[in-house]
Amino acid sequence: MIRITDLSFRFGSSDLLFQRVNLEIKPGEFSLICGPTGSGKSTFLRCLNGLAPHFTGGNLRGRIEIAGQDLTGAKPHDFAPHVGFVNQQPEGAFVADSVEGELVYGMEQLGFDREVMASRLAEIVERFDLRGLLQSSLTELSGGQQQRVAIASAVAGGQKILVLDEPTSALDAEVSAEIIALLRKLASDEGITILLAEHRLERALPLVDSVIVVHGDGSVTKQLPTEAIREYRLVPPVVELSRIFDLNPGCLTAQQVRERMRETPAHVESAVTQPEQFAGESALSVSDLAVTFGANKAVDSVSFELQRGQVMAIMGANGSGKTSLLWGIQASGQRNSGTATTPWGETAKLSTEESLCVLTLVPQRASDLLFLSSVSAELTDSDRFAKAPANTTASLFQRFAGRVNPSTHPRDLSAGQQLALVLAIQLAKDAGILLLDEPTRGLDYEAKRQLARIIGELREAGKAIAVATHDVEFATLIATDVLVLENGKVTQIGKPDQIFGIDGPLPSEVSKALGIRGLFAVAQLSLENKSGERS
Amino acid sequence: MLNKLKLLGQTCHPATWWLAGIGLAIIAGQSSSLLMVVSCIAVALACTMFFKTEAAWAQSIRFYLGLSAFVVLVRVVFRVIFNGGIARGDVVALEIAPLRFGLGFGTELQLFGPVSVSTLQAATLDGLRLSAIILAIAMATTLSNPRRLLKSTPAALYEVAAAVSVAINLAPQLIESLQRVRKARSLRGRNKGVGALTSIVIPALEDTMDRSLQLAASMDARGFGRRGSLTNRQAGLTRALSLFSAAGFGVGTYLLVATDSQVWAVSLLVLSGALMFSVIRITANRNVKTTFRKQSLGWFDYVVIASTGLFVLTSVAAPAIVGLVAK
Repeated sequence: MIRITDLSFRFGSSDLLFQRVNLEIKPGEFSLICGPTGSGKSTFLRCLNGLAPHFTGGNLRGRIEIAGQDLTGAKPHDFAPHVGFVNQQPEGAFVADSVEGELVYGMEQLGFDREVMASRLAEIVERFDLRGLLQSSLTELSGGQQQRVAIASAVAGGQKILVLDEPTSALDAEVSAEIIALLRKLASDEGITILLAEHRLERALPLVDSVIVVHGDGSVTKQLPTEAIREYRLVPPVVELSRIFDLNPGCLTAQQVRERMRETPAHVESAVTQPEQFAGESALSVSDLAVTFGANKAVDSVSFELQRGQVMAIMGANGSGKTSLLWGIQASGQRNSGTATTPWGETAKLSTEESLCVLTLVPQRASDLLFLSSVSAELTDSDRFAKAPANTTASLFQRFAGRVNPSTHPRDLSAGQQLALVLAIQLAKDAGILLLDEPTRGLDYEAKRQLARIIGELREAGKAIAVATHDVEFATLIATDVLVLENGKVTQIGKPDQIFGIDGPLPSEVSKALGIRGLFAVAQLSLENKSGERS
Repeated sequence: MLNKLKLLGQTCHPATWWLAGIGLAIIAGQSSSLLMVVSCIAVALACTMFFKTEAAWAQSIRFYLGLSAFVVLVRVVFRVIFNGGIARGDVVALEIAPLRFGLGFGTELQLFGPVSVSTLQAATLDGLRLSAIILAIAMATTLSNPRRLLKSTPAALYEVAAAVSVAINLAPQLIESLQRVRKARSLRGRNKGVGALTSIVIPALEDTMDRSLQLAASMDARGFGRRGSLTNRQAGLTRALSLFSAAGFGVGTYLLVATDSQVWAVSLLVLSGALMFSVIRITANRNVKTTFRKQSLGWFDYVVIASTGLFVLTSVAAPAIVGLVAK
């Protein structure tokens, strides 16, 4: 279906992103594209529909054949009859305003007859479960519905290839799983060839036929999923488990691990340790906080306590009120009633200046806070504004992100580095309370682990931290306490083992795989298991 | 009844509001009567407030209001600073001590000085005229869904249409980004002073450009701009013709609004219109694009377009023709 011969690509005069890549993808094959951040996954995908180089710039050599046609150098609209493309943020890529308009847009451009469009539309509505939504405005839809519409419109014109660039990065776990299952069905039932780039490998690995690894050194290889996980550096918890217990071939799902462990039981030495805590020095007390937008109660009388040395993971599906809660606590966002009290006073009554020294919030799009043209300019500006000694921010940044060329433009940093930079800037005033809104968006495993390490360090330094996230596996790495939000209300507050454990409301992959009470994270396994010994 | 009318205005053809907006702008731009200019502003504002939807692009009216107030202010302040002095028979409105600078060669620059009532009146009228034009265009951008407008643009004018749609999208998107970035920036504690302005505008501009490009990329990836059986030469020709006619429209409108060369302006506009029409004609039957649900003109569209046309005719064209004949 797709044949790539001797593909090379580079931006300007920089190093080759891909060097003489040869790949063949069969009809109906479901491939997962993975690779570290910045390795060129997105560019690789965009080569398959002409957006690279036509929109991204750069220089492409080699040959790209789609469905037997040589389309090397063709414009995106020449690829359109064959290749459907779905982006990270569907709302930015929508070209129409109603669901119906969006679904037929591609067909209109390709010149379908009106009768054909009508019958295809009916078929698509059925297949993608969009009944009753046809006349809705695209902005009214939930994130999952939006992504379903985006996928449906990408294949509405009979495209046999579907390319998706991290379509689930803004969705919560449940909805992402639904989307990936939908893709599996498209590949199996309709024979559509699918290429999917995805950070959360644990969702996709069990369902795909092959894994294409973009290594970042110019090479791109295709492997079977079981082969790929053996070599690939950044792995989900389940794969880590199969490495620890030396399962061969490696397992891809929690269930597989569970079955294999039942066949050959391994001795699981777990060190169920809770991270030590500072003795109850309260840093933030939220009481009856409510945020209302029109008739919608985004946050409904939420109360909780946060102590120094505590990391509170605020969990909940998209739209459960996590973001509104954090902004309400910070008090620059909307707050209709309730209080958020710190030892320095109620947050709404602090002046901007005081508030910056007490608590700091890092928003979902951290890059919104960056505006200067180089990293070093941002760092010195931050020191000056915080009235902190020179290099305060720089040393924080180095601790978080390692060595980064100070003349780099902040927009050229990876998502993880941008986050580290914003964190460093926000912490230059040494605020005791840190609020993070969905910080793992766009981060790969390596970057998430890095972030977890930073959060651990800050916790040990006695900061009080609240992190809103829907990423259970990330939360197991950082949380000392967990708060579960549903429709703006707190449904549960507890310790991680109560929430992420096998009986909890949000069991982690490790819980599902091992089924041992109190054991929910890979880090809890003792060294004995990690060396791969079995008893 | 009122709700029904509202719905009609919100679902009518997006080009209707653009025609009405441009018509209002022309009337206001040509008028030298304060009453006329103020009524143009009132009409634009009333329509905007009544028919406005909750959509993202419709939230920018406050920005346009601020901009037009700023324009009036600047106009008046500049006339106070650089005023031409008092002619005989003028009534003095403001008595300010003049500042004189020698420029050498015996010439002298005078700032401030007494300001006459007629100067102030003229400055205010000038400012209001500009803000009426701004608000008329604001009405068009607020009330017409940019994406539906793009859909109704003939695909024959691919490059021009894409550029125009991206540009139309730019202002409301910029305002949306500005609001988001400003909110985020407050987290760094900087919302005051000139420094804050650049620190908000730069990320917002970048964000806006990104999003416009993303929209364009997405349209292209879905097949926008396919030219069917058009050969490369034909495509090149239509592209050149459409660019020329777009330029003609721009220059023609400028001449019409800002200068006295009415004859040139009108003939240029007519020529450009004919060119544009012929391009659409040439390419229409070769284009592969089809339409699933045609946005047709309803009676409401006809009422709006007809009344706009009537007003433009009576307030602008008729006096101009009378003037020509009288010469």
